[in-house]
Amino acid sequence: MIVEFGSFALVLAFCLSLAQACLSGIGRWRRSSILAGAGEGAALAAFLAVALAFAALMHAFITSDFSVANVAANSHTEKPLLYKIAGTWGSHEGSMLLWCLALTGFGSAIAGFGRNLPKGLKSLGVMTQGVLGTVFLGYTVLASNPFVRLARIPVEGHSLNPLLQDPALAVHPPFLYAGYVGLSVVFSLAVAALIEGRVDAAWARWVRPWTLAAWSLLTIGIMMGSFWAYYELGWGGWWFWDPVENASFMPWLIATALLHSAVVTEKRGALPGWTVFLAISAFTFSMLGAFLVRSGVLTSVHAFAVDPTRGALLLGILALTAGSAFSLFAWRAPVLAPGGVFAPISRESALVMNNILLATATVMVLLGTLFPLIREAVSGTPISVGAPYFNLIFLPLMAVMIVLLPAGPLLSWKRADAKGVYQRLIFAALSGVGIALLVYALVSPRKALASAGLGLAVWLIFGALTEVAERTRFLRGSTGEFWRRVTGLPRGAWGMTLAHLGLGIFILGACFETGWRVEAAETLPIGGQLKVGAYELTLDRVAAVDGPNFDAERGLITARKAGIDICRPSPERRFYPAGGQTTSEVAICTLGLNHLYVVLGERRMGPTAPVWLVRAYWNPLAILIFLGPLTMALGGFLSLSDRRLRLAVGQRTAKTS
Amino acid sequence: MITLWVAAGALSAAAAVIILLRAAGAASNAGSSDPTLEVYRRQLKELDALADSGLIDKTDHATAKVEASRRLLGAADQAIAPWTAPAAQGPWVGAVIALVGASALALYLVVGSPGFRDQPMAARIAQWRSAPTAGLSAPEMVAVLKQVTAPRQDPEGFRYLALAEVQSENLSGAARALRRAIVLAPQRSDLWEMLGEVLVMQANGQEAGAAQTAFQEALKRDPKSMTARFHLARGKDQAGDRDGAVAMLRALQTELPPSDSRRQDLEQSIKEILSPHLAQPSASPAPGGDQMAVIRNMVAGLAEKLKTNPDDPEGWVRLVRSYAVLGDRTARDAALAQARGRYRGRADIMSQLDAASKAEAMK
Repeated sequence: MIVEFGSFALVLAFCLSLAQACLSGIGRWRRSSILAGAGEGAALAAFLAVALAFAALMHAFITSDFSVANVAANSHTEKPLLYKIAGTWGSHEGSMLLWCLALTGFGSAIAGFGRNLPKGLKSLGVMTQGVLGTVFLGYTVLASNPFVRLARIPVEGHSLNPLLQDPALAVHPPFLYAGYVGLSVVFSLAVAALIEGRVDAAWARWVRPWTLAAWSLLTIGIMMGSFWAYYELGWGGWWFWDPVENASFMPWLIATALLHSAVVTEKRGALPGWTVFLAISAFTFSMLGAFLVRSGVLTSVHAFAVDPTRGALLLGILALTAGSAFSLFAWRAPVLAPGGVFAPISRESALVMNNILLATATVMVLLGTLFPLIREAVSGTPISVGAPYFNLIFLPLMAVMIVLLPAGPLLSWKRADAKGVYQRLIFAALSGVGIALLVYALVSPRKALASAGLGLAVWLIFGALTEVAERTRFLRGSTGEFWRRVTGLPRGAWGMTLAHLGLGIFILGACFETGWRVEAAETLPIGGQLKVGAYELTLDRVAAVDGPNFDAERGLITARKAGIDICRPSPERRFYPAGGQTTSEVAICTLGLNHLYVVLGERRMGPTAPVWLVRAYWNPLAILIFLGPLTMALGGFLSLSDRRLRLAVGQRTAKTS
Repeated sequence: MITLWVAAGALSAAAAVIILLRAAGAASNAGSSDPTLEVYRRQLKELDALADSGLIDKTDHATAKVEASRRLLGAADQAIAPWTAPAAQGPWVGAVIALVGASALALYLVVGSPGFRDQPMAARIAQWRSAPTAGLSAPEMVAVLKQVTAPRQDPEGFRYLALAEVQSENLSGAARALRRAIVLAPQRSDLWEMLGEVLVMQANGQEAGAAQTAFQEALKRDPKSMTARFHLARGKDQAGDRDGAVAMLRALQTELPPSDSRRQDLEQSIKEILSPHLAQPSASPAPGGDQMAVIRNMVAGLAEKLKTNPDDPEGWVRLVRSYAVLGDRTARDAALAQARGRYRGRADIMSQLDAASKAEAMK
């Protein structure tokens, strides 16, 4: 009964979304509070229905109800409970349901918490969310239904891909989807603003918290995906410019540009058209990612099982929704009022440069991701665009952006004094150049690019700190004044500083890890030794392990430095009988901010005894690669808590005044 | 199915209530002011607060305030058409709610399966346990045995599970079950033998290292173990030691009575070692079939063995437990009586027999 109840709830949610779109649209057209309110009610009810459908599917996974085709294809009775739960969104159908849950959740959030929005903007925003809900729920119900039943029920399920049976990947999709779909609110408010013909400073303020929330969640989601790839795939890398990684990175880049552009629109009323364009583009890239991952056009460890028919339907949804929004933009953008003017040296100009660089970088990533697909479709010849292309194109653009970044927050709005900013940043600049030269000269002249990267990271970190020091008059005024300024500084400002610091921390980790990583691999018998950096690893023994749903060989290794025991990594090579797949379970010793990363390879027969391929990496400052994005996301959440951006603040103030 | 329709009706009603409440709330709030003005007023206050804290300089404050004031005035001047809440639209909302409910029902009848009940694994296993075991397929038997063995931690149960796993062609599962059985009863040579045989099957007939280790463990516990010695001989052959292999097989042959049919099998194996081109692919267990028959045959074999060699307390305990697990109370009681008669006065064996007779039946 629970499965069928979920199936009914999903269908009901689809009908409610359709009602939401119609009631809100007609409500706005007739300026009827009753109809618009009913549309909001439909949005809330649609979320309730999808939440119940999702709970029903999760229940089917937990109880191993293999009469549900999706459960039979993606679960197994021996799977640990966490991965049974994660199996709910581990498949194409389940992940679409998660997408719909997030979509209706954000739709109901506008309906429920958007009390400070003008009625017209709100009802059109709810209407657009309703349209998006209708197409995605319609797709889920009719083409990707997770509640399809099997007439012949298998005794056992096929289980979830073992690579996905991982704690980080269990929670990665909810964050990622919340980020992706959070951008739908921005999209809907942009469409609503275009229909209303009103994109102004107030609109930018309403859009900012939604963008911040989506951006922060997306940052965490991408970071978790990267961390998963780092320790689960056993390649020692954390970013591979894999097309699916790019699919999540592109909306993040555009959302980052939007965050900055919305500030210009909010503070100065400038760039309204561009901000709306970015708002539409951000969710368009999210939908493009959904299409790329599910259509079968990509081959990737991250891609869901491939289905060209359903891929074509998703492409149709993308063309319909994004095409309509961009057409509306082309039609209505000319009527948007131009914003305030600004000088070439001003904070607005710095933010425009930031936007140009981020948008260009996004286009370059898009080209690198889609070009192989287009080329193959046209000529039939497959080609590969790998890391060299992305490093060559993307990194210089980002380097320019990082050079400009610390100056931006120090520039005044409208017209700024470049010389004054230069003087204030001289310490950060000298520190960056000094560190780069020092590392280049003393550590390794062959690592010129990594040295330059370290210099940029130091410049960025000190630049962000300089900005706070300037605003709080650190060491330049009395302690009382300093504390007054520190406590008076809005949380949004602290959030910005944290986000910029996080970027610097990330660059520091990425450059260090990439430039000074040490790798070693050898086939070792029991008692054999492998040297990696300053560490000596001894394979003490290999034990057979019976996991809950896998058999494994676990290598028991001792890592020593100068003869002293440092840690005992125990990597595993697992065999999952349900799917017949083998995976590597990496062992990581965290030593300060560094990682000693050990992988146990396959067993071979040596001359007299079995041997195992053991690979080891010394990844210096690797933790910073993941700490940086976390700091950035923390900055986003801190900004979100700024009372200026609280969603219902207008309403509350109006009531109290 | 009635529960489904009641639940679906309740959800639809809840959705209708939410929509109506929201519409009523919005109707009562129809004349509220445009919040845009409030946003600009707040911007002005924020600018003042920043200036008071010294966080922006006076020039920037003045410029920004002029712009914000201009935006406030511009917004105040904009004529916004009022929103209304005509009561006549109430029935329209009701009609939409009814349409949503009817459409959802119609669409569900197309895409849903209202006649299908939930099939959680626990309920299916309970159903299989109450059904005649002879009708169960190998995977169903595995599912039942997994549930039976897990809480009891009974090596015999794991051995049956291993047999069923072999029949359902899950050799990895069989090996895993045997390893668990061995953890519980490490002294049982038959478990080590079975593990070795399963590992050989997993390795497509190759006497791999792990299998040979298992046979050696079996031999440590039962130096006369025919199975272990046979496979260790094959292992020698595969390692290139033909003479050693043949010597071991000949020794085995001499220990068997002349009437034992296994002598011929050993002779065939020796011939194959000496002339490899005569080798026939070894038969692997036939998949599917009547799993219970396999298990019952195995138990019958044990009973036969005890008839010829009755002084085997462990064997009697296993036999009693096997009958108990199979749910054959008559045979269990008969075996228990025989064993009690034989080991009267041996408190340790009597207590093992009693515990074995209380083993939970598969059904």
